[in-house]
Amino acid sequence: MSDKVYDLSQLEELAGGSEEFVHSMIETFLEHTPGQLEEMKTAHAQKDWKTMGGIAHKIKPNIDLFGIKSIYSEIREVENKGKNEQPDEALNGEIGKVDEVLKTAFEQLRTL
Amino acid sequence: MDILKIFVVDDNELYSRMAQHHLSLNPDNEVEVFRGGKECMDNLYKKPNLIFLDYSLPEMSGIEILRKIKETHPEIPVVIVSGQEDVSTAVNLLKEGAYDYIVKDDNAKERMWNASNHVRENARLRDEIDKLREEVNQKYDFSNIKGNSPAIKNVFKLIEKAAQTNITVSVTGETGTGKELVAKAIHYNSKFHKKSLVAVNIAAIPRDLLESELFGHEKGAFTGAINKRIGKFEEANGGTIFLDEIGEMDLQLQAKLLRVLQEKEVTRIGSNQAVKINARVIVATHRNLAEEVKSGNFREDLYYRLLGLPIELPPLRERENDIVLLAKHFVDEFARENKLGKIQITNGAQKKLLNYRWPGNVRELKAVVELATVMVDDGKIEERDINFSSTSTMDNLISEEATLKDYTARIIQHYLDKYDRNVVKVAHKLDIGKSTIYRMIKNNELTI
Repeated sequence: MSDKVYDLSQLEELAGGSEEFVHSMIETFLEHTPGQLEEMKTAHAQKDWKTMGGIAHKIKPNIDLFGIKSIYSEIREVENKGKNEQPDEALNGEIGKVDEVLKTAFEQLRTL
Repeated sequence: MDILKIFVVDDNELYSRMAQHHLSLNPDNEVEVFRGGKECMDNLYKKPNLIFLDYSLPEMSGIEILRKIKETHPEIPVVIVSGQEDVSTAVNLLKEGAYDYIVKDDNAKERMWNASNHVRENARLRDEIDKLREEVNQKYDFSNIKGNSPAIKNVFKLIEKAAQTNITVSVTGETGTGKELVAKAIHYNSKFHKKSLVAVNIAAIPRDLLESELFGHEKGAFTGAINKRIGKFEEANGGTIFLDEIGEMDLQLQAKLLRVLQEKEVTRIGSNQAVKINARVIVATHRNLAEEVKSGNFREDLYYRLLGLPIELPPLRERENDIVLLAKHFVDEFARENKLGKIQITNGAQKKLLNYRWPGNVRELKAVVELATVMVDDGKIEERDINFSSTSTMDNLISEEATLKDYTARIIQHYLDKYDRNVVKVAHKLDIGKSTIYRMIKNNELTI
């Protein structure tokens, strides 16, 4: 398997040694985030920038919490461009990267 | 407060679970999680002590929910948690009554933790203040001045009148009648009760220090004035100043006091700047101030300025059955404080209490019955348990209000008993004629 795209150290620190808590958080993450990701992509395809930015805003803390560092800046770009309704050429690439990395994270976390 | 009830309102389940987990590390926190504003509003009846509210919720915006919570439950602290740092939003939310504004970043959990601890500490302190204020109010409730006699009932009426206004009150009465209690009852039942009652006993403060004690002084105003000091009048600003034993104030200071009362401002010694004072003034004295004015010991203008609403406390001996009522009250109180069980006062003892003159008034009564309560063996205070320690037997003798003839007879009888019925010796001692004594014996006014 390729290198992990996530880093659970923040979550583990938070858990204070409770593995049960870490597991329940991973479950919750896997339960909700894939749906949010799809919603964000749909909004992007429909050029509904406000909605896209709103969902990115919701996904952002999850990405932070699971230490998915490679898309820290991309998710913020998506959030801001959506909020200000100012899409640019880079947006497609950013959405694509968030999509790709998150899907990898889902896969890696499911096998844990 | 034992359990801090915390609501976390966030549609991001990950985040709310994290918050719940983190806050629950303190076993005294009880955390409930809600997905949206409506759910939160529907559960407000549970009276949470603290709400963490996500700013961007789907159905209602954070500010809307905040307003709704503040409308119905203004006392619940609401901390806004937001994914974005936005100073102007934060300022607006704080103006709308938010307790704090936390950004979801690395420090969020510490800040939530701190906020919950602050709220807990605040709630504990508020509980304590409420309890103490309640206690103080109860302590100085009118009903705590006991008595049913017409004399004391009239005093109650006057206290009530005084409490309703800001009129200066002068309390007079013998020592131990409860002048300070009256001052407290007025203060704690008046609109001044939220600020301090500052009591100054004029007789207890050395003459040279009194002026700076009352009016304060600036640093270096006189030798020994190392620091600036505010006086009792300034301390009492917005509250009540109680000047006990006002009759003991010397004439020079009386003039200064008059000026302060007239101008409603004080100037600290060594300062040339006056400070406005708004304080209710209550004075007390055991002297007859009108007499003091006549004999030139008290300024007439100050006398009228201070007279205000005069409240004269009746001496205990004029309060008839209040003596028994008060005695029972003090016995009960003392027995309760010392866990002595129920103690009664026998009829004989009651009679003894009623026949005494009480030069020390209620204060003396309290001391006498407390001592009696200690001496008691079988739960009953008997006549012999009551001992008067009054320094003046003369007072007691006079209190009987017998005729002079009767007193004369008793004095001579006392001497006759003391000197073995030696009429010559007694006549010499008392510097009266032998024939007077013989005549009184003949008339059966004396026994020999």
